Amino acid sequence: MSSNNESIGKTLGVVVGLCLVCAVVVSVASVQLRPLQKANKAQDVQRNILAAAGFNDVTNVEEMFGQNIEARVVNMETGEFVEQDHTTFDFESTKFDAKRSFKLDKADDKAGIQRMTDHSPVYLSKDASGQVSTIILPIQGYGLWGIMYGFIALDKDTETVKAIKFYKHNETPGLGGEIENPKWTATWVGKSLPITLVKGTAGTDKHKVDGLSGATLTSVGVGNTVDFWTSNKGFGPFLANVRNGALN
Amino acid sequence: MANTKEMKDVLFGPVFANNPIALQVLGICSALAVTSSLKNALIMSIALTLVTAFSSLFISIIRNHIPSSVRIIVQMTIIASLVIVVDQTLQAFVYATAKELSVFVGLIITNCIVMGRAEAYAMKSPPLMSFLDGIGNGLGYSVVLLTVGFIRELGGSGTLFGAEILPLVSEGGWYQPMGLLILPPSSFFIIGFFIWVLRTYKKDQVEAKA
Repeated sequence: MSSNNESIGKTLGVVVGLCLVCAVVVSVASVQLRPLQKANKAQDVQRNILAAAGFNDVTNVEEMFGQNIEARVVNMETGEFVEQDHTTFDFESTKFDAKRSFKLDKADDKAGIQRMTDHSPVYLSKDASGQVSTIILPIQGYGLWGIMYGFIALDKDTETVKAIKFYKHNETPGLGGEIENPKWTATWVGKSLPITLVKGTAGTDKHKVDGLSGATLTSVGVGNTVDFWTSNKGFGPFLANVRNGALN
Repeated sequence: MANTKEMKDVLFGPVFANNPIALQVLGICSALAVTSSLKNALIMSIALTLVTAFSSLFISIIRNHIPSSVRIIVQMTIIASLVIVVDQTLQAFVYATAKELSVFVGLIITNCIVMGRAEAYAMKSPPLMSFLDGIGNGLGYSVVLLTVGFIRELGGSGTLFGAEILPLVSEGGWYQPMGLLILPPSSFFIIGFFIWVLRTYKKDQVEAKA
């Protein structure tokens, strides 16, 4: 080892030089790979929408999505369709875009999300005869540790739950993380809005679902999330329009 | 210049004779967490092997210029940069697996094997040997991870790489899966057995009785 390795000049030089090289390597990797990662993320969202619509284990996600799902954008306030590109929405970041979102009053913010977009995509799945059979709504709300992102699929009567799916969350693995468990999400199927989460006594009651044991706060969060997004603050106006025949 | 025999020792020594998990007991945490399926174990093994090999290589290249007062920080910076690159690559090419491995890829940074090899070997050995040492220790880690992954996936879910081997009772077959094997603590038992078997064959690894 050369003797001047320990001098302040050399130490600073090595550290600064190394940091520059590493910063360049990391930035290049990040920038170069971003388009691929974005495509993967978009595909993951589409895969979850397909799963909510009842298409599981899809191999060609984009093709299936194009054939079976129609994406529309609705105005949250009026519940009417508007002509907008649904791919410009990102469920995590668009709500921080001041031009496209607003801050929720504390009293209205049941799901604990603070901000929401003034428009939102909805996804319509059609049956063989071309009639809309399932409405898939993007939902998000605060659980125990952070915001849970998911989809809820409703029958076109706008009350019967066909599926619920969470694809991104920070809940405790094994406890709150069980919101992803297919066995639990299956207990939602066929239930009818409004839904209350109860402790082990739901049985065949149409408006009750058993909460997750050991994850009371997560369960409460899921309940609030579903309530919020099906209420008038959420997709309520849109669902009312659907009941009045907006899809026919 | 190192001869071939020495290179072979450095490369294959850590697989059984000086296994990082079984003998040095490093890197246990991720061995418990990501081995519930063979595919995750394989990708984790490849990621760790690459990070160990390249971090050792780069540290070895600049080893004569690293001031000893900041050497750990320098090592960490190199390791962390490599891990970020690996993480980004996984997210770009195998998104579903990257999602499952989630935090454990990032935790390669704190995996004792990587730092241990950098500090113990790469700081005083030439680049080529350090690179081989990294690959060798990565292989040693992989052997344990794949063994545990094999037993856990086969016993816990009746599959290997997701393909059905033992038909499950719940799907009309005959195999009742062992729930314990799906849970992380089972890796403790399997690694324990692995060490037992290894030390039965290689008596020199048995610690002397106090």
